[in-house]
Amino acid sequence: MDKQENDPKINRRRFLATGARASVLVGIGGVAALLAKKTIAGQTVWQLDPAKCIQCGRCATNCVLTPSAVKCVHVYAMCGYCDLCGGYFKPETKTLTTGAENQLCPTNAIKRKFIEDPFFEYTIDEPLCIGCGKCVKGCGAFGNGSLQLQIRHNICVHCNECSIARNCPADAFSRVPASQPYLFKGFGQEEENTKK
Amino acid sequence: MTNQASPASTRRLLQTIAAASAVFAAILCVLIIVNYIQLKRADPLNSKALTTLVERMHANPGDEMLRQEIRELDLLARKAFFTNQWQVRMGGYLLFLSLLVVVICYKAAELMQKTIPEIPAEGNEDFWHLRKVNRLWVIYTGISIVVISLLVVFLTHRELGKTLELAVRDSAGIENGSGGDMDTPDDQKTMASAAGTGPDSLAPGAATDSISGSNTDVKNPDGYPTIQEINDNFTAFRGPGGIGIAYQKNIPTNWDGKSGKNVKWKTAIPLPGYNSPIIWKERIFLTGASETKREVYCIDLNSGKISWRKSVEKIPGSPSQEPKVIRETGFSAPTMTTDGRRVYAIFANGDLIALDLDGNEIWSKNLGIPQNHYGHSSSLIMYRDLLIIQYDQRGSGSVMALAGKTGEVVWKTSRSVKVSWASPVIVNTGKRTELMLAADPIVASYNPANGKELWRMACIEGEVGPSLAYADGVVYSVNDFSKLSAIRIREDIGEIPGTGDNTMDGAKPGTGANKVDGTKTEAGAPNFQPVLLWEDSDYLSDIPSPLATPKYLFLVTSYGAVVCYDAKTGTKYWEEELGTSTFGSPMLAEGKVFQMDKNGVMHIFRADKEFSLISAPPLGEGSSCTPAFADGRIIIRGDKHLFCIGK
Amino acid sequence: MQRFPKPEFESGYQQPDTLQPGARAGLLAIMDVVVLTITLAFITWLVLKKRSRLGVFLTSVFSLAYFGFYREGCVCSIGAIQNVTLALFDNSYVIPLTVIAFFVIPLIFTLFFGRTFCAGVCPFGAIQDLVSFKPQKLGTRLNAVLGLIPYLYLGLAVLYAATETDFIICRYDPFVGIFRFDASFGMFLFAGILLVSGIFIARPYCRFLCPYGVLLNWISRFSWRHITITPAKCIQCRLCENSCPYDAIDMPVPGKNPEERSITLRKLILICILVPFFAILGGFTASRLHETLAGVNGKVQLARALLEPASETGVPETFEITAFKSSGKPVSQVYYEASVIIRQFYIGSWILGCFLGLVFGIILARRLIITYQADYTPNKGTCFSCTRCVDYCPVTPEEIKP
Repeated sequence: MDKQENDPKINRRRFLATGARASVLVGIGGVAALLAKKTIAGQTVWQLDPAKCIQCGRCATNCVLTPSAVKCVHVYAMCGYCDLCGGYFKPETKTLTTGAENQLCPTNAIKRKFIEDPFFEYTIDEPLCIGCGKCVKGCGAFGNGSLQLQIRHNICVHCNECSIARNCPADAFSRVPASQPYLFKGFGQEEENTKK
Repeated sequence: MTNQASPASTRRLLQTIAAASAVFAAILCVLIIVNYIQLKRADPLNSKALTTLVERMHANPGDEMLRQEIRELDLLARKAFFTNQWQVRMGGYLLFLSLLVVVICYKAAELMQKTIPEIPAEGNEDFWHLRKVNRLWVIYTGISIVVISLLVVFLTHRELGKTLELAVRDSAGIENGSGGDMDTPDDQKTMASAAGTGPDSLAPGAATDSISGSNTDVKNPDGYPTIQEINDNFTAFRGPGGIGIAYQKNIPTNWDGKSGKNVKWKTAIPLPGYNSPIIWKERIFLTGASETKREVYCIDLNSGKISWRKSVEKIPGSPSQEPKVIRETGFSAPTMTTDGRRVYAIFANGDLIALDLDGNEIWSKNLGIPQNHYGHSSSLIMYRDLLIIQYDQRGSGSVMALAGKTGEVVWKTSRSVKVSWASPVIVNTGKRTELMLAADPIVASYNPANGKELWRMACIEGEVGPSLAYADGVVYSVNDFSKLSAIRIREDIGEIPGTGDNTMDGAKPGTGANKVDGTKTEAGAPNFQPVLLWEDSDYLSDIPSPLATPKYLFLVTSYGAVVCYDAKTGTKYWEEELGTSTFGSPMLAEGKVFQMDKNGVMHIFRADKEFSLISAPPLGEGSSCTPAFADGRIIIRGDKHLFCIGK
Repeated sequence: MQRFPKPEFESGYQQPDTLQPGARAGLLAIMDVVVLTITLAFITWLVLKKRSRLGVFLTSVFSLAYFGFYREGCVCSIGAIQNVTLALFDNSYVIPLTVIAFFVIPLIFTLFFGRTFCAGVCPFGAIQDLVSFKPQKLGTRLNAVLGLIPYLYLGLAVLYAATETDFIICRYDPFVGIFRFDASFGMFLFAGILLVSGIFIARPYCRFLCPYGVLLNWISRFSWRHITITPAKCIQCRLCENSCPYDAIDMPVPGKNPEERSITLRKLILICILVPFFAILGGFTASRLHETLAGVNGKVQLARALLEPASETGVPETFEITAFKSSGKPVSQVYYEASVIIRQFYIGSWILGCFLGLVFGIILARRLIITYQADYTPNKGTCFSCTRCVDYCPVTPEEIKP
């Protein structure tokens, strides 16, 4: 037993092993140190930049979740409360009723409510919204652009690599600190962006 | 007896449950797959039936029955969509649960049955044989991977990298061999053969990049610089192409000429001149002249010493009398140009000289005293190995190209224009390379290889001092007592963002936009009409040239106003007054605009929608020239000295 | 663009607020790291000290429940390789501390105690362990060939992460779809195949795909304390020979005739020549492929689409081209960026190829060199420390005490 312990071959092997172990430890430590410079304390989340978005419709189909975690969000501060809402009605609508034949939204997720003449309020029923962006396109083309696609962080599972981000033709997705998850575009955005 | 029987029967029960669950799971799997296929085949939200019905309804808005039908169909479609999702989700949960049951039961059954380990039979596989087989198969795998990879490469070889690099040069500002409507096969051949013999190529036809990752610098055997080389140096007035954009990096933004802070050197220039410096590698060139003397100077970029000065005299055909110039122009207003092999200079009396980089004369001639009441100031510019000269004088305007090597006139095109003091610009618009000039009354474009006119637009009047600006398919011209015009010259720009208009219909056609006056159009070129995008008359410049980026247009007037417009719509983003006269033109480097004022203060601000002044470092003496840029340096010509700003 | 002015409401209507629900609290991410560390420590104790298979099994069930179904398998240590790579190569990428922790902590535990992470902390290993009902021996050929795939996977993952092209470990992650209850059909199919084959081939992902496993393999070879089959001394009773479903037990190597020195010398020379040769051959081959590899990159695809002239009318313009046109970016910039990426791929694939060649060479070299051993020991590199073999060993520590 003692002889085995003092056997130079085993000692040498043990020494080499310890040396190797130490260098691996140093290596891991080195990598960690390098990374420590580029780290932040909090988490990062995915964010959609509505200014870059071209409403291609891939948000609805590419999310790993069904329905997608990207939903249309209504920035009320920007809305014009128009009677003929570009995001609600199909382009050639003649009579402005809430009939299914007039609606742009394929799942009836936008609700239209009369406020006072001539203003109507449009709200989004989020469980119904699939994030297809048809209303966003319409509002952007004919209205104030107050309907914007955004990732809903209470639904999003925060994949390491967002499937939608990978396929977004406008490269509109980026990782941002979790403290400022939403980005709205247009006038009044500062107000919305700072509101919690 | 009973005690021994129950564990076995429990085990069997568990196994049965596991098996049943497994079957259930399998059925569920099949169902979910079927459901999924159904969904794929007919997405209820995009049903064709619904769309056709809606279209019919738009044709007959009064049809109530149709309306009801649509509403019902829509409701069905939506219900189907959400039910489908619910079904898949529930199916998934059920599947998971049943699989869980399978696993739990099986594992429990396993646990209950303890197996006694057995000594395995003596294996007849020799340990060494096994190792050998293992090695062999590793080798087989390796060989097959290599073979398959090489096969894939052989079949799909595309050389995308090289094509892209060529494309960058083509579209970056000035052109190279494979741009334009001619010369493509030849130049690519030259590129390929040069690539094949270069020391960096690893295999014939391979990308020419060496492992060190250096920029491909295939010297064109015809003897003119590549686009990369032109962009790396500062070869003409207002940078490569003459449009005011420099590609250098690490440009300093802070200095003080008086105290010498961040001033590497300052050298007195013997003879004055309003031409701006040009830079090739480590050499700076400029000229100076008085009534009787004309000189070309070469200053070393690093030390600031005058490496050589060449006196330009005894040019054949040179007039004995001096031309009439005004003080603000001087006798050497045009900036020099270079192709990296020779430098070229022109003076107010029509003297034109080509020197090699060490100051030896290669050729010289006199073009005749230009009939120019202020003094000739159009700067020189190169196209490949052709020296382009804009010679718009009173009574006979022309643009010509001389062979850089010999000075022979390769082509000369007459222009019916008035005297101009603007300088030519050469840009690759994506479709072809164009040489553009501004003079009363037209902005015109020519093919720089043969001088044929491509298009013209009558939109400029007066004594034109400012040169043109160009970015992203739009040319900008401005002059005092005229207007600021933005002309779209690339017909493949789709909808221009911000205008909401689409191509030809929305924008106003240019007046007299097509070729008249007997100048033949380019044979085979499409009958192209430039289109006036927008115009403005609030701010006009008579000396500094405008500066354009794809998003913004910066206009500087000679009384010190700086305006930022939206490049495509002409919306003014901001207007600032610098408070002094500005004769130099703005330059764009690293996203910042550098504007020199007459007192020698360089106003540096961000090229952005909002005005943000970065700094305003003073030179310590007045300046009317436009700066030149090198990596980490700015070369500024003051009234008396040449300054090198940088560390 | 404000086409319509903000209305002034007279009826006292209150404009609702735009809801902005936040993401999961950052504190919970820290809790994940704490749970990871505690579980790792616990299972290390279970493996090395208690040597309890049941304990390890129950811990793996817990890990499956927590890291798998509760945290939905993201962020995981395997994917963290990509984040770390991207952070090393891209200065603008910020990597959260918790991700670094997920990458580093298992490596450190492995360095000291072997692959206890694989035993019962990694949810992928746990789910595969649950379904390995009838593990079969694979034979040396399959083991040899399939065992090379993780190196390829690791190399490609690092290459694609470093060039900011794609996170292929995440893209081809089979089990995260099960944890999330939501994935594409292809991913579910892949998971199904792996799990069904997992009934007969124990831990197929761990042995033949896991890129993190490559790192753990290398590091575990230097581990300070590794699980041993016997608690004290091996008596060569051979009862444990078929106990490992992963073929991770090193059998005794009979030391009948020690090799002659000349043969050893020849082998050494062969290794010294072959290993660099393989490295260069590998680098050369991979670098020929660099454009094919780069073809996956989005910027390269856009540049290629722009280079090719517009196809026949009738084919609608792709979204990528529409988006590019509306972005106002000059074409030359797209070309330039793409050419830069292609050059990066050239350098990267040389490195990838050299790495793979080296790996090949070293694997062959190791199979050439003979190390004699008398005992049955777990292979320090490939053993997952699952503690199955422990129950097969009849030795008890008291027996050996003198």
